Amino acid sequence: MTFMVSPLIATDHERNTPDTIIVGAGAAGLLLAARLAEAGERVVVIEAGPERTLDQLWSSQIWARRLKWSGAPVEESGDHKVGHAFNAGMGTGGSALHHYGVWLRLHPGDFQIASDHQRGLDWPFAYDELRPYYDRVQTEVGLSGDANAEVWRPPGAPYPMGPLPVFAQGKVLAKGFKAQGKRVAPLPLAINSSSYHGRAPCQFDGWCDAGCPIGALANPLVTWLPRAQKAGVELRHNTRALRVERDPNKPERIEALVVSGPDGRQRLHAKRFIIAAFTVQSTRILLNSIGDKPAPGNRHDQLGRYLTTHPATTVFGLFDEPTLPHLGVSAGQLISHDDYDDKSAAGGWGSSQWLIAHAIKPNDLLGYATGRPDIHGPELKPWLERAAQHLGNMTVVCEDIPLASNRITLGSSVDNDGVPIAATHHDLHPDARSRWQQRTTEGQALMRAAGATDVWQGPMAPMHIMGGTVMGADETSSVTDPWGRVHDTENLYISGPSLFPSSGAVNPTFTLSALAWRQADHLIT
Amino acid sequence: MARPSVSKVTTTTTARDGQLTRRDTLRMGALCASFCIAGDWLTTSPAQAKALGFTPQVLSSQQLAQLAALADALVPGAAEAGVDAYIDAQLNAGADSMLLAKYVGVAPPDQAGFYGAIADAVAHAVANGTAIKDLPAAMLTDSVPHWQGPPASYALFVLRADALDVTWGTDTGYAALGIPYHAHIMPPSSW
Repeated sequence: MTFMVSPLIATDHERNTPDTIIVGAGAAGLLLAARLAEAGERVVVIEAGPERTLDQLWSSQIWARRLKWSGAPVEESGDHKVGHAFNAGMGTGGSALHHYGVWLRLHPGDFQIASDHQRGLDWPFAYDELRPYYDRVQTEVGLSGDANAEVWRPPGAPYPMGPLPVFAQGKVLAKGFKAQGKRVAPLPLAINSSSYHGRAPCQFDGWCDAGCPIGALANPLVTWLPRAQKAGVELRHNTRALRVERDPNKPERIEALVVSGPDGRQRLHAKRFIIAAFTVQSTRILLNSIGDKPAPGNRHDQLGRYLTTHPATTVFGLFDEPTLPHLGVSAGQLISHDDYDDKSAAGGWGSSQWLIAHAIKPNDLLGYATGRPDIHGPELKPWLERAAQHLGNMTVVCEDIPLASNRITLGSSVDNDGVPIAATHHDLHPDARSRWQQRTTEGQALMRAAGATDVWQGPMAPMHIMGGTVMGADETSSVTDPWGRVHDTENLYISGPSLFPSSGAVNPTFTLSALAWRQADHLIT
Repeated sequence: MARPSVSKVTTTTTARDGQLTRRDTLRMGALCASFCIAGDWLTTSPAQAKALGFTPQVLSSQQLAQLAALADALVPGAAEAGVDAYIDAQLNAGADSMLLAKYVGVAPPDQAGFYGAIADAVAHAVANGTAIKDLPAAMLTDSVPHWQGPPASYALFVLRADALDVTWGTDTGYAALGIPYHAHIMPPSSW
C-alpha cells in the first residue's frame, strides 16, 4: 500500500512527548483523557472534526445534521447497511453529542452468547467484571431512573436520580403493554431529572438530537470535557489521524501517529496511543497502518470483523385521545425488557427491547411526516395537525448476531489526504431478521391494544455501530486483549464500541463508558 | 459567480416593490442564508430569495423549477417557502450541506448530480405526458412512465423530506401545526 508523499515534520522533542495521544474526542476518548490527565499524565487529544461548544447546539432538526459525520465517505454494502452517516458524529463530543442518553447495562447473558448459544463471540469477561464500572460511571455522569421498577435490570447500584416524568403519550402506550401482559418501567437515562453536579434538569422539549445546550443530557461537553480541560489536556481539532507507525527497532511498539491538520502532515510521538475514533474510523486507522508487518491487530486476519448494528424499527399509531408527542425526550419515556433474556425463544434469535414514547418532531429522518411518503398533497396538512396531537411511537431494538463476514475493510477510493476510505459490509443473520419481524408484528399489536386506530411501522434501520476491533483472550478471534490493548503491540489501545464482541440489544454508550473507565484504571495503575 | 467569503448581510424586511413586508417575512420564518440576488450576496430567507429572484449557483433555473413544482405537489407550501432556493444553497455549501440526503446514501459530493438527475427525470416525465400532480402517486410505486433518473420512490422520499424541512420543520411550521417550538437555543437562521 502506498500513501501520498508529503513532508513529515518532526515535532517530537523528548521533553514535549506526551504520555498519551488519544484519537477521538467522543465519549470514550474524553473520558480517558480526563482520567489519565487527572492522574498526572500529559495527554493530547486529536479530533477530526471542528470544535463544538454548547452555544452552538441550536434547536433545529436541520442544524442538528452538522453534528453528524461529514468526513471521508464510507462505502457501505450488505442487506443491512450500518448507516454510518447517520450514526456517527464529528467534532468535540463525537457521536455522543447527538446521542439520546439511553444508558442501559448489558445483561449477564449478553457476555456469553458463544458459550450459551453457539452464536458469535463471548466477551472476555462476565457481567460481574463490568458491574462496578457501570456503578461508578453512573455516579460520575448522573443517571435517572427507577431501578426497582426495572424488574429485569442486572444487579447494580440504584440510580442517583429519580425517573423523568411520564407524559400523555407514555401513559397511553403503557395501556397497550398492560393489555398484552407486558411490563414497562421508566426509561433509565443520562438525563437529569433534577440538578446534578451543577447541571440543569431536563425541560422535556425533545431537542436531544440537536445536542443539549443546557447540559441536562450527559454529553461529553458537560461531563468529561470540563474535567479534561481542567487537568490540562491539549485538544487539537480539525486534525485527522491517518495511521500509526511501528518503531523500526522495536516493531511491537508504536512510535508515531501520522496526522493531517491545519499545520499540514505531522508525525506525533507519544509513549502510548489510544484510538477512540468510533467503530468504523478506528478500524480504518489500523487498516491503513499496514507496513512491512500486518496492520496492528491483524496477524490473524481479524481486524474489521464482527461488525454489528442493531436492527431497529419504530412503530407508530394514531389515537383518538391526545398524546402530545412533542413532550418529553427523544429517547422515550418507558422501557420494556420483558423479552430480553430469552434469546432462544421461538420465532428467531436474540434479545430485544422496546423504547416507548419518544418525543418526536414532524421533519427529519425520524420525523413522523417523513416516514409517511404515501401522504402528500392536500391530505398532508390535516394529517400533520392530527399527528401533532395524537401520535404514539415506540422503537424495538433487536440484537445483531456477530458474523466474521460482516467486516470493515478499506474502500476503493482515497480521501483528500490520499488515504483509503473505509468500506463496510453488513448482512443481517436470518435468525436475527426473524426476531425483528416477530417483534415488529408484536409492536403493531401493542399499538392496537393501546387504542391506536391507525398503525404503521417504519423500515428496518441500523441503530448504533459496534465491533471491528473486538476484544478477547484469544488472538485468533479478536484484535485486542481484554483491556483494549492491540494484541501484537505494547502501547496501542482501542476504546469505544468497536471493542464489543457482541451487541446485546441495548444502547451502547453506558457500556463503552464503563469499559473506558475500566481501561483508565488499568492504565493508571 | 464566486461566493464571497463574507456575504453582504441585509435584514431587509420592509416593502420592496410592494412585494414583501415585515409581516410577510415573519410569516415565512427566519430561514436565512446567503443568496446571490441581482449580483449581490444577501442574507435572506429562501422565500425572500425566491421572491427577489435569486441566481442559482449549482442547478439551473429550469431544474430548480421542476424540483419546486414536484415538492409543492408533495408538500403544499414548499414552493412558497422557497424549497428551490434551499436546495440550491445547500448544494452550494459542499461538504457542509445539511440536506437529509446525506443520511440515506447521497454524500454531499454526489448531491448536485443526484438532484439534477431528479429534476431532469421530472422534466422528461412531464414532457411525455405525466402531469406534475400525478407524479407523487406514480413515484411512490416506481411506476412513472418514461422515468429516467434515480429510483422514483427514493427520489420522492428525499425531495419530500426537503419540502417538509422548509415548510413544517421551522418555528413557523410548528406554530402552524399548533405545537410549541420551545427552543433551548433558537438557531440564528432556520438552516
